[in-house]
Amino acid sequence: MERTRRSSPVSPPLEYAKEGTEDFSVLRRLLLAPEQVQLDRLRQRLDTFVVGPEEVSNVLPDAIRLRAQQDNRLLASMVPITQEALALSIKQSPQLISDSIAPILGSAIRKALSRAMREMLQSLNQTLEYSMSWQGLQWRWEAWKTGRPFVEVVLLHTLRFRVEQLFLIHKKTGLLLNHVMAEGISSQGEAAISGMLTAIQDFVRDSFQQSQDEGLESLRIGDLTVWIEQGSSAILATVIRGTPPVKLRDVLQNTLDSLHAQYSDSLKNFQGDTAVFLETRPFLEDCLQAQFVKKQKGLPVAFLVLCALLLALLGWWAYHASLHHQQWTEFLKRIGAEPGIVVTSIQEEEGRRVLHGWRDPLAVDPERLLEEVGYSSNAVGFHLEPFIALTPEMVHKRAIQVLQPPESVEVSIEGNRIVLMGESSHRWISRVDQSAMAIPGVSEISMERLIDTDVKQFETLRNALEQQAIFFLEGQGRLPDRELVKTQQVKHILQELDKEAVKLGRELSIDVMGYSSPVGSQSINLLLSEMRAKKVLDILSEPPYQVLKLAAMGKGVDPDGTSVAGEEKGYARSRRVSFKVVEAKTIHPPREAGVRKGP
Amino acid sequence: MIQKKICLLGAFAVGKTSLVKRLVSGIFSDKYLTTVGVKIDQKKLSIRGQDLMMVIWDLYGDDDFQKVRASYLQGSSGYILVIDGTRKETVDVAGKLHELAQKTIGPVPFVLLLNKHDLVDEWVVECPMVSDLRDQACLVSMVSAKTGEGVEAAFTALSEAMLRS
Repeated sequence: MERTRRSSPVSPPLEYAKEGTEDFSVLRRLLLAPEQVQLDRLRQRLDTFVVGPEEVSNVLPDAIRLRAQQDNRLLASMVPITQEALALSIKQSPQLISDSIAPILGSAIRKALSRAMREMLQSLNQTLEYSMSWQGLQWRWEAWKTGRPFVEVVLLHTLRFRVEQLFLIHKKTGLLLNHVMAEGISSQGEAAISGMLTAIQDFVRDSFQQSQDEGLESLRIGDLTVWIEQGSSAILATVIRGTPPVKLRDVLQNTLDSLHAQYSDSLKNFQGDTAVFLETRPFLEDCLQAQFVKKQKGLPVAFLVLCALLLALLGWWAYHASLHHQQWTEFLKRIGAEPGIVVTSIQEEEGRRVLHGWRDPLAVDPERLLEEVGYSSNAVGFHLEPFIALTPEMVHKRAIQVLQPPESVEVSIEGNRIVLMGESSHRWISRVDQSAMAIPGVSEISMERLIDTDVKQFETLRNALEQQAIFFLEGQGRLPDRELVKTQQVKHILQELDKEAVKLGRELSIDVMGYSSPVGSQSINLLLSEMRAKKVLDILSEPPYQVLKLAAMGKGVDPDGTSVAGEEKGYARSRRVSFKVVEAKTIHPPREAGVRKGP
Repeated sequence: MIQKKICLLGAFAVGKTSLVKRLVSGIFSDKYLTTVGVKIDQKKLSIRGQDLMMVIWDLYGDDDFQKVRASYLQGSSGYILVIDGTRKETVDVAGKLHELAQKTIGPVPFVLLLNKHDLVDEWVVECPMVSDLRDQACLVSMVSAKTGEGVEAAFTALSEAMLRS
């Protein structure tokens, strides 16, 4: 009974409720009231059951993982939601997405750009290298004839080898895991080609009863070679144009080995999903190698000799051209600086350079300048009109030519003034003034520092004469013998003086003055002095002079001698004849030193 | 992208190659069939949002099934058996090829196609004759290589079965 009550606590009350008896209801409440309350609560909870976020969060990761292991339905369901979420995220916060992908995108773009630039440069280099050569012209003709692009023709002729395509193929299924191509290569049906390569291998292997480990290593048709590297799970088929080096095989095999090492599990468990093998692209692209025929480095000896000769010739020509140029430049520099020559133009006339302009006749001969700089005078002509240059150098030159100064005279030009310094004869000085004023460009002449040697000599002689004295004895008009000798000296001075006077154009009067001592009477002394003067005059008159005129005059008592009266010696000096030069007149007025101005 | 290799099996002249031609325009000519014994084409499909590259190995059909190279079957994820409805002996060859495939690549999905549906009046093949194969195939379909009827659906069905497996 106890068991019955406990085993059917739910259904009987429902049945009894249908009975509707009041007693039974009372009994039921008394017996089952606590359980009934619990049941009601459970029912209510079931009716309003909602799974809360907390419960879901606890099971969600495991649930996703378990479902993904079963099939792809969860993945397929998430694809559109993920795409929409991504699109919305990019729209709302593009910076966040940009920042997130920048590290990988930047690297990928750099790599792609670098590769594209490298290939473009290589192609450009080749095209440029061959576009202008004789061979390049031949290839252009070939390109035109065959209708192929010039770059392609260059590539065909210069290519030693080039890896055009690589197929990474799953060995068991023949499915294509990844595929890369060189720039400019087009391909289609890679998956089918991959299968066909596998089929051909199987065909050959079956046909010649080779073991599964054996495989085709190489196919060749024309200049195209297919190298097939065998791995345990994958094969690498490489399409190469040209003749590849053996070492390329090592590169390919090493690449395949490293791919096997890195993707060992993926290759073993391959079920057709090639997504994981997209990462093999950089490895495969590294195998896209190419090598071009290098231009022959060695040059024929004859060519080298010719080049050397040409270089020597060029060097010789360059040396002479440079020398010629230097000489010509030097010549132009000198003729430009040369006073009295003005070059207005240089013209090429009949293979010669002809200088046009003006030349002062006193200027240097331009032919001489050419000789001095070593320039060939045959290559240069002159058409220089004569003119008078007024530069100081040319005025000086002209002054020298006109004045013809003695060596003792220095001529210089200061502006429009000629300055003369030194010593010269009276004759040269007397005509220099007129001549100087006739020189173009000269309006003044300065002779302040020019000494007239004839005037100087004249003055010397005058002084010498005027210091002479012929002494007489007391009370005598007769000349003592010893004084007679002295008169010869005086005569000689007079003769010299006569010559200088002629040079200076002067007429001279020489006063021969007789004196007496105060001893005696005045009248006798006067007479005595006259006698003495005449006596000396008589002696000196012969031979006659050209311009000198002597005049004897008695001066009486010597006025200077009286001051020493009482002394016999002083009296003796008073009894004498002295001389005084008197310039009567100047035939040609002597030139005085100083400045003269022209008209 | 998922790639799957499938083989096209059937007796000589059952129309396998014509069926493939209804689906793709391949790059290899038919002479591969008589030389290498196989011609391979590729077909890209989209199955429930999933891109699938189907690599179709069209094996040369010979009435002597032993001439079929078993190595070509290796790695297949499925295959298509083709029977000519107007030639009874093609059923036997299909049965043998089926056995060879199961033996070589294991229990992978396959579809059974009865070709020349457009010539149904001339059919000599009765449905009971293919009952054994019908039980195992994921799809049995009557197709016409001439009109293209049912061809794409058959490939799609096989693709779905392969993706499920």
